[in-house]
Amino acid sequence: MMTDKSNMVDITLNKDVLVVGAGSVGLETASKIASQGYKVSVIGQKTACARQSGCTDEMLNSGTVNIMQDVVLEDVAGVTGDFRVTLAKGEEKMKAVFGAVVVAPNYSYASLNGAYGLALSDRVMSQSQFEAFMDSDGLKKVAADSGSDADDVENVIVAFLTGFGQEGDPVSTGRALKSALAVQKTSGCKAYIYTGNIKVGAKGLERIFTEGRHAGVVCFKPSVMPEIEQNSDSVKISITDPVVRSTIELEPDYVVVEEALVVGQDNLDTATLLRIDTDLDGLLPSNNVHRFPVRSNRDGIFVASNSVDAANVALRIAELIGDGIKNVSADQAKVDEERCVICLTCYRSCPHGAIFWENGAAAISPAACQGCGICASECPMDAIQLGDFTDESLRKSVKDAVVSVEGSPSIVAFCCKNSALEAGEAAARFGHNMPAGFKMVKVPCAGKVDVEFIMKAFVEGADGVMVAACHEGNCKAERGNTYAKWRVNEIQKRLENMGLGKDCLCFTTIASNMAGEFAAKVNAFADKLA
Amino acid sequence: MNSKTPKVMVVGGGIAGLTAAWELSRQNIPVELVEKSCFLGGHSIGFTCKATDSCRQCGACSVEEMLKNVVEEPLINVHLRTEITSLEKGEGFKATLVKSDIGLEAGQVVRGFSQYNKPLYVVAGDAAQLPPETEVAETGNLDSLGTEGDIAVDAVIVATGYTPFDPNLKSTYGYGKWPNLITGLDLENIIRDRGALLRPSDGSKPSKVAFIQCVGSRDERLGNLWCSEVCCPYAMRMAGTIKHDNPDADISMFYIDIQNTGKEFPVFYEKIKEDIRFVRTIPVDIYPLENDRLELRHMVEDEGKPSSEEYDLVVLSVGIMPGKDTTAISGITGIPVNNDGFLDSPASDSGCFVAGTAGGPASIAATMADAGKTAFEAMKYLGVMK
Repeated sequence: MMTDKSNMVDITLNKDVLVVGAGSVGLETASKIASQGYKVSVIGQKTACARQSGCTDEMLNSGTVNIMQDVVLEDVAGVTGDFRVTLAKGEEKMKAVFGAVVVAPNYSYASLNGAYGLALSDRVMSQSQFEAFMDSDGLKKVAADSGSDADDVENVIVAFLTGFGQEGDPVSTGRALKSALAVQKTSGCKAYIYTGNIKVGAKGLERIFTEGRHAGVVCFKPSVMPEIEQNSDSVKISITDPVVRSTIELEPDYVVVEEALVVGQDNLDTATLLRIDTDLDGLLPSNNVHRFPVRSNRDGIFVASNSVDAANVALRIAELIGDGIKNVSADQAKVDEERCVICLTCYRSCPHGAIFWENGAAAISPAACQGCGICASECPMDAIQLGDFTDESLRKSVKDAVVSVEGSPSIVAFCCKNSALEAGEAAARFGHNMPAGFKMVKVPCAGKVDVEFIMKAFVEGADGVMVAACHEGNCKAERGNTYAKWRVNEIQKRLENMGLGKDCLCFTTIASNMAGEFAAKVNAFADKLA
Repeated sequence: MNSKTPKVMVVGGGIAGLTAAWELSRQNIPVELVEKSCFLGGHSIGFTCKATDSCRQCGACSVEEMLKNVVEEPLINVHLRTEITSLEKGEGFKATLVKSDIGLEAGQVVRGFSQYNKPLYVVAGDAAQLPPETEVAETGNLDSLGTEGDIAVDAVIVATGYTPFDPNLKSTYGYGKWPNLITGLDLENIIRDRGALLRPSDGSKPSKVAFIQCVGSRDERLGNLWCSEVCCPYAMRMAGTIKHDNPDADISMFYIDIQNTGKEFPVFYEKIKEDIRFVRTIPVDIYPLENDRLELRHMVEDEGKPSSEEYDLVVLSVGIMPGKDTTAISGITGIPVNNDGFLDSPASDSGCFVAGTAGGPASIAATMADAGKTAFEAMKYLGVMK
């Protein structure tokens, strides 16, 4: 059965947008989305000025940007274009529908004084505390009181500790560098920085670092954390300097410790409610290049962490919602209600959260479905078919891919259209030598490669079968490559049990832009089969 | 703005220009995309995947995908081998385009790195002189490329990119004199051309490799007071792939400070420490040895004395410098140049915008995000949003 391309349907998308997080980034994102003509509700604790974050009076007065102070997300159902959200303010519950949801996480900072064995005090401050101290001219007053505000006396010493409590990043380093320069510019004061790696990988930081050194800021980069001794009214910092090869001790008047970004339970709860993944540090969203900078693993849910993200979220929302009507293929993935036994396998395996329940059977949202086919392959009842890749059409593709060529093994390669298929086509176009019996079978994602298709290739007479997926962490369907790898391992075991050996089946990963590497992998496999 | 759909000119077809053009086309805005060379993709389309068993988020495959998006998008009109010589501001802009000088000799063939480059090969002069492996059907003649004349547009996005640091300016390293002393970009080209990292001198797999960081970046003597941001991630990822292909490889990285790669850096850094020996010093000079090996002299940090080590291959992590055309583009567009020589932010009502590394160092991912933001700002200027 070929796909009926005329089977397109218009679906209506809700044009309202929910922004979770009312900090400066959340409010800026809301203003940018509103500037494209969409109505935006912003929930969470407001921690920034809406106008300074870009919201105009018109947006605020007309309710185009509706800031719902202290409202929290309670429940989210539905899919992209139609998220059915329950909001709560205290005991009061509200229901609303949104076409898209944006998370603007409110991360906080925590002092890492504990990592240095230091207790915070009048003289030991976190970076934030010290910034406030400088802003209120605290250091200037101390320098004047100590009589050391003459230009040639540097009696007040401030030491910054950074990069030992955590690896650090340009944001953290930048704050220390700016404060150290400000200290050094305060008459009678001198700044020392103890750091691991100076993270100057952001605009302007190397200049600030250089300006500080020229102004007299001293920077030590010991290979291990300095030894620190805190007494009731003093702190002693000692390091072994590798260049002068001696111990350098300092008793600063003030010690400033770095701060770490804290994800916060509220952000994790939001991620759980929305069923979006976090990265290894717990930050939203998960780390996948295909979704940089603002997409999450679920269509219609975005993450904005800074001003650049805010603009990119607005673009993605305009692209997604448009004028509220989207033309989509109705049979991209369809459930046969007769066969569905509501086992929940598809619901659990869908990486895009596109599956829900309707009339006692699973249903797939044509708006949220990305057509990867993981559900179709995992369904134990074979109740799901993809419009473009029906089981029947794939069986035919497999049959056609087994060709008999004199002197060359017949290799059927199931190639993910996002990576291996691209690499294979490029290899052919750039003239890389490939075995004559090598044929590719296009699949929407390696996660659609069923055990049945692999076995069919062997039954049809293939000498070797290759399943070529995206690299781990690069799959657009998140886990399609993992499913494929499991299935290949499973079949390899079966082949061994049947006494056929597992070497005629291989799993490999490749990127779309690596034609030469793909050709080399195919040729190595062919050599092994020969 | 008037009632007709506004049109935008994007100058530069690297990843910044491609992304900006594509984002505009998403909102139904037609784009004239002007690229000086014969191929779209800029520096980044030549970069190879840095995955080991898993993706390392280098972003190289995103460039391939974006290039495909752009060539398949009818709203984007691509002008290869074309540069802009003047920009007159009236109601909108009148941009004057000329064919750029590629500097190809007759019979010389150049290739694109993506299968979506159209044409895939470009030849100067008589096509009969094509080398045998080159597909005639995929080959365009240099003379057939390029646009001359005036085009009316409503806004201009400048995405002219960067120039890699010229390692000849670091004369004690002797770049160009010793075959196995290469830059990171040379290394990418070797992998592209030969399918694997092989020594230029003899085609052997190098087992002892050094990366030297901050070549041209963070160099006060040269007046380059910026970190190029991408070279630490590059060297660490590359070292990871070398080690993955050849677990016996011995890799050292000479550095000032290790910069982060992006998300999940602490986890990545801890893992890569198993693969690479990190040496906190920048080597002083390099000498040739037998078998085209190289001797590298440096100060040993915790001993305070010089030492020398031998390597099969030395890779210079050359920094991101302002694009060669920056001054000219600044003159044409009126966009100011900053202290470092990169393009500064133009006035918000000028109708000109900057995207990507023309404005300073950035990774592929950061460049794409920046280009999206720039496209958004251009749309706001054009009044296509409320």
